[in-house]
Amino acid sequence: MSFIQIQNLLKRFGKVVAVDHIWLEIEKGEIITLLGPSGCGKTTTLRCIAGLERPDEGDVVIDGRPMFSKGFVPPAKRGIGMVFQNYAVWPHMRVFDNVAYGLKLARLPKKEIRKRVQKTLELVGLKGLENRYPTQLSGGQQQRVALARALTRNPKVLLLDEPLSNLDAKLREKMRFEIKSLVKRMGITAVYVTHDQAEAMVISDRVAVMNQGKIVQVGSAEEIYHRPATKFVADFIGVTNFISGRVAEVDADRAEAVLEADFGRVRCKVLVPESAIQGRQATAFVRPEDVEVRERSAGGENLFRGTVLHRVYLGNILYLFVKLGDTSLRVQARATMPYREDDEIHVYLDPYRTIIIQD
Amino acid sequence: MVNRVTAAGTEGAGGVRFRLPLYDLSRGEILLSLILWAVVGLFILYPLFFLILESFKIAGTDRFGIQNYLDFFRDSYYLKAFGNTMLLGILVLATTTLVGLPAAYILARYRIRGKTVFTALTLLPIVLPAYAGAFAFIVFFGKWGTMNLLLMEWGIIDEPINFIYGLQGLVFIQSLHLLPFIVLSLLAGFTNIDPSLEEAAEVEGAGGIRRFFTITLPLATPSYFAGAVLVFLWPFTDWLTPIILGQVDYLPSIAYINIAYHFTDVYRKYMGIVSVVVAAVICVGMFLTLRRWIERKKYTALSKGTALEGRTITPGPLARLIAYLYMGFISALVLIIPVVLGLSAFSRRWVFEPFPTYWTLENFEVIFFETPQLLMNSFRFSGIALIFGVTFGLAVAYLLTRTRAPGKNALDFISTILLVFPGIAIGVSFLLAFWKTIPIATHWIIMPLALFVRRTPYFLRMAHASYLQLDPSLEEASEISGAGKLRTFFSISLPLLLKGIFVGVIMFFIMAFQEISTAVFLYRGGWETLPIGIYLNWHRGMEFGIAAAMAFFMVVLVFVLLLIAARIGGGILNVAWGAGGRRE
Repeated sequence: MSFIQIQNLLKRFGKVVAVDHIWLEIEKGEIITLLGPSGCGKTTTLRCIAGLERPDEGDVVIDGRPMFSKGFVPPAKRGIGMVFQNYAVWPHMRVFDNVAYGLKLARLPKKEIRKRVQKTLELVGLKGLENRYPTQLSGGQQQRVALARALTRNPKVLLLDEPLSNLDAKLREKMRFEIKSLVKRMGITAVYVTHDQAEAMVISDRVAVMNQGKIVQVGSAEEIYHRPATKFVADFIGVTNFISGRVAEVDADRAEAVLEADFGRVRCKVLVPESAIQGRQATAFVRPEDVEVRERSAGGENLFRGTVLHRVYLGNILYLFVKLGDTSLRVQARATMPYREDDEIHVYLDPYRTIIIQD
Repeated sequence: MVNRVTAAGTEGAGGVRFRLPLYDLSRGEILLSLILWAVVGLFILYPLFFLILESFKIAGTDRFGIQNYLDFFRDSYYLKAFGNTMLLGILVLATTTLVGLPAAYILARYRIRGKTVFTALTLLPIVLPAYAGAFAFIVFFGKWGTMNLLLMEWGIIDEPINFIYGLQGLVFIQSLHLLPFIVLSLLAGFTNIDPSLEEAAEVEGAGGIRRFFTITLPLATPSYFAGAVLVFLWPFTDWLTPIILGQVDYLPSIAYINIAYHFTDVYRKYMGIVSVVVAAVICVGMFLTLRRWIERKKYTALSKGTALEGRTITPGPLARLIAYLYMGFISALVLIIPVVLGLSAFSRRWVFEPFPTYWTLENFEVIFFETPQLLMNSFRFSGIALIFGVTFGLAVAYLLTRTRAPGKNALDFISTILLVFPGIAIGVSFLLAFWKTIPIATHWIIMPLALFVRRTPYFLRMAHASYLQLDPSLEEASEISGAGKLRTFFSISLPLLLKGIFVGVIMFFIMAFQEISTAVFLYRGGWETLPIGIYLNWHRGMEFGIAAAMAFFMVVLVFVLLLIAARIGGGILNVAWGAGGRRE
């Protein structure tokens, strides 16, 4: 049985359904990310796990114990630690007292408290700052205090609500790895909420993509990137081109189909048979790196001629926006390629990476 | 996914389930909500119900009907009083607006020296009791007051001029008392305008005056009306100033005289009660209508709000001179109050002299040593009221900001209404309600209870604002660390709220300490407070010196408390927001 089970969770705020009957199982020691745009219900789900919100329906089971149905289990009794988006470090307490707060409430002996606080502060790299007030710390340091406070009671579950969104880009990147290695080292089960897909991919074992209160897809970073379940996932994760057209042919054995787009016939992969039905409209997606720039047209399948609309040079890579019929395609090219705007160009769409997808 | 029956008790697939809206509340929060409603029910709704009931009673019978109201609106005397009150409201609003507009503009935009002092003096009357101002101006501008005597001495006039006995005096005294409301709300309006909005108009080619009338003023309008409504409604609640000036034909004054002096004359009693209800209905009605209008017109949400303060400009030499003269004039008028009260307090037999000639400490001996009871009562009643107010205010603020308790908005609504509710209405309703059925009025506790109800909004608004600024995750982090809600409140919330609510505590105390409108209906022998003492000594006992000493003591106390509040609360303006009837 999974360590955390989210069962048919429903949460309404007035008439708005924030979390819409979601199911999710989280294994022990796993880091899972709830990823989605703002308002998708990821934070509400996290707060239900924490016990800061009470769901209207459904339950959360942690380590075999239901949190709502058999009487409400208050946050303090759930064996969780939580890091808040704005750190929520208490400004009127010193670093030591912030971290020791929970231990004092648990009435641990003074010596034991001191030892455990020291250990945790060392773990998060705050050794020697025990007597500082939070206002004397940088944003990154406050973040570490919040982390230390969440870890000091040895929680079974660590909940992180966009913990890095208030840090600058460089620090954010560094903290991702630190949090990941810390959580893995301590063997804690962690639920991490973010709207930043790169962060989700770095930090988690699995990603649950949410949209409009529902979980749309759960999978590893590779799975959600290369085999997105819906158009929403493909669009939200990374950069994508969409091609729409009529399904002209279906080859069920090879799981392939031919899409008749306005600029020509495109051979595509089909992951879900229902998404490509002969004669119907369908949408395929292809990542910019899966579109190849060819020197000149030798003719052949999935090879198209277009013109360069825009050229975006980013140093290590070059993005070309190519106009094919009425479709504009973003193509990732080598930075050294000499194409200019209005140039004629030939592109090849990899038929194994051009995938018909569900709406 | 298939419908699985879950532990939360779903009745199977598609089953519609009802859940009490109380589900989100902890047991303690439900209890808290019930207690607060009991307090509101017993001390606000129940007396109010009694007041309205009484106004519908048909004299001499046990029946109810609209007879009293018909009589009221048919009686040309009461209609005249109604009209007078309206007229006074309009005149006071016009005066404060005309005088306040330049003052607010200067304080908001001009970079001049002594701005803090000017701001403080302009806003000071808001916390001084209105009657203190009235007494000071009678002494200074009265028929044989300092001004007339000086003018005659200098040979400018032969006969004394009637500066203040009459409508002109009422308008003058009430306007000076209410000017802070207008200045504050305009100041808020001007400083909240994103500077880029004005800069954009400047780039488009709008000159200074045009910019002011097409951009600045319209943007400040909603904020202005928030203060204006309080100013306009003041004559519907202030019974004392007209009486001091010998003018009684105004609704609250009539109500006071009818109820306080003619309780045995049944007709006059009921006319008094109807006057109270009519005044209260007008206050609440206007306040709600305008508030709704302001909500719709709020522009502030449009701008990104990058700068904390609006534009400031360095005025040219002429503009600077005019600004100094203007602010100096207003400040001088305000300063007359403490100066004249001080002169009267330290003297005896100050009549027919521009300035006193006989100096003494006798007056203070009387209030400190001969009858210290009044002073003690004031501190005791205000202190107890403060404890009630803080407990109630924090609890309501908690319920409002931290829970989804059903009916919490109604609780907020009722508490907010109290801001414009005439003190006389609270006094009369307490008198009616707590006499027989629930006889609290025979115990002195009625005094602090009445003060608490009357001044509740002053603390509640600050507590609410502070709670809104306190990030809930600070409390949630504590709960996750193992603390209960009560523990969290005392170790996390309260210490962090302390600074914000401190200003509220001081404002509540100041306003409770100077309260007279409600208290005057409820006091009995031995329960007199300082304001009642001032009223009795001045108006009935002709002991000007003692009344002045009491008023002077009060002004000094207010001043000291304000200095403390300003130091802790981060400046005079922050403190004034607390008093000025604004809600962040």
